[in-house]
Amino acid sequence: MKIAKNIWLLFIICIAGAGWITIDTHYLRPTPVKFIVPKGWPQPYYDFSKNPLTEEGIALGKKLFYDENLSKDGSISCGSCHQQFGAFNTYDHPLSHGFNNSMTTRNAPGLFNLAWQKEFMWDGGINHLDLQPLAPITAENEMAETIENVLNKLKADKEYRKMFKAAFGDETITTQRMTKAFSQFLLQMVSSNSKYDKVMRGEASFILPEKLGYEIFQKKCSSCHPEPMFTDYTYRNTGFTLDPYLKDPGRMRITGDPKDSLKFKVPSLRNVAMTFPYGHDGRLFSLISVFEHYRKSMVTGPDTDPLLKNRIPLSNFEIGQLTAFLYTLTDSTFLKDPRFAPPGYAYNGKPPADLHQ
Amino acid sequence: MRIPKALSVFFVFQLLIIFVVSAQSLDKKVTIYFENKIGIDPLVLGNPVKNINGEEMRIERYKYYISHLSVTDMKGNTHFASSQYYLIDESDSASKIIKVNLPTGNIKSIHFLLGVDSIRNVSGVQTGALDPLNGMFWTWNSGYIMAKLEGVSASANTPGNRFTYHIGGFKNGMNTVKEIDLALPNTSGQLQEIHISADINHWFKGNTIVKVAETPICHTPGALAVKIAENYMTMFSINRVN
Repeated sequence: MKIAKNIWLLFIICIAGAGWITIDTHYLRPTPVKFIVPKGWPQPYYDFSKNPLTEEGIALGKKLFYDENLSKDGSISCGSCHQQFGAFNTYDHPLSHGFNNSMTTRNAPGLFNLAWQKEFMWDGGINHLDLQPLAPITAENEMAETIENVLNKLKADKEYRKMFKAAFGDETITTQRMTKAFSQFLLQMVSSNSKYDKVMRGEASFILPEKLGYEIFQKKCSSCHPEPMFTDYTYRNTGFTLDPYLKDPGRMRITGDPKDSLKFKVPSLRNVAMTFPYGHDGRLFSLISVFEHYRKSMVTGPDTDPLLKNRIPLSNFEIGQLTAFLYTLTDSTFLKDPRFAPPGYAYNGKPPADLHQ
Repeated sequence: MRIPKALSVFFVFQLLIIFVVSAQSLDKKVTIYFENKIGIDPLVLGNPVKNINGEEMRIERYKYYISHLSVTDMKGNTHFASSQYYLIDESDSASKIIKVNLPTGNIKSIHFLLGVDSIRNVSGVQTGALDPLNGMFWTWNSGYIMAKLEGVSASANTPGNRFTYHIGGFKNGMNTVKEIDLALPNTSGQLQEIHISADINHWFKGNTIVKVAETPICHTPGALAVKIAENYMTMFSINRVN
């Protein structure tokens, strides 16, 4: 009887202790944000249990994304090269501008639906979304800063200390917390409200050229760009010749395997009308030049992707219909969503007149 | 962040259990010293030395990861000694001293990983010794640099005569994580200190001869990194135990 009593006493102490722990953290609890998976989409790849979305975490991520002080000379933010009106690519630029008049070596891709993506960069070298921001921040031809300096700048800033406390419970600023906040902001950027999506949900219907284009797309493009993500996230050699100046071997740089020479990630076609120029180095300036590449000018050889050995036969008529369909993938809600817009940006959905840097 | 009550109770009990278990088996505090050397001489950063291939050099930077520390007792049972990751950095003397709890009784051998296991290479941004801040992480090709050796040598045909060996890679065919097993001499009485020597000469001469004049740079996972890792995995020896 006495042992049973003691066990009960121990149990009650534990419950009381647990209650105390709960109460202690109660006042610092950030507001959770639910991640909504669009209907009919696969489950996201990102493990949200390791980095639960909160309003405070997302707000911090957004501030970091648009903060030019993260670069060495305070001139470049993530948002400088990932512009919302271009679905977060660098609008109208084959390559982007980096620190001290340098140029990047690859086309800045659009940023959206990153929760479904396993590997990042054109060569897939980065294996986790949380790690991604560290590459452009530290690259000499991008933001050219060290992680240590970035953390020191954040620690010296009262506003940041406040925001880290709101998002993570205390003012400790670490690489892990910074990158988790980045991810929270980036994960929120879901593009799932294009005309195509509305048609799929039964809220709109294609006009004839779009419908015909959709049928051609399903026949000739969707092996590599399957719905609903419009990419299969593989790496393929699509007949681009090696640029003699950039000398970019693509996926081979990561795997070391000669078979992966000149393979690059299949990009999503969502918002494709906005993400020109195209290709890993932005060498194709328009959708027309993309079609010309695939039907005529791509160089085929033993390493060309098996699906493209005979190029993609496309008539002028088909190109017209395909273009009409690809325009239905533009998600204007996403392009104008104030949640993702630069702080204080009066949004009119158009690139600013003085865009060219 | 709210911790559900049931979970808290579970944690409390778990803590109790861990406390009881550790109190029983891991009650001996042992200090492990990593002593970096070149040949038989203690390594001094910046001092002119000659490596085993006769190449003159000054070593400026030397770091490597140690993890998954465990020991085997006389009965052949293995005990985990630490779940921590340690970055041994020649320029930081405190980093070369590791304090762990080991089981009582005689210990036959000590084991550890030289490097960072693959799971930590694919799990996003880590903290502490594994923070990418420490300059031991490739941001363009996700993965840890398991070991880093940098310096200057007239033999190095590079700008500033610098040689830089950043050894990493965890994927199939490119794995540079090495398991190290070291037998301990019999200790009479209480074991308090283990002194492990790490001879840099093994980087340059093992299965493969690595000459600074021929290959002064290794910055990516791949064949060269694997060869150098196979060389340096033999660099450890037990200097003495107290």
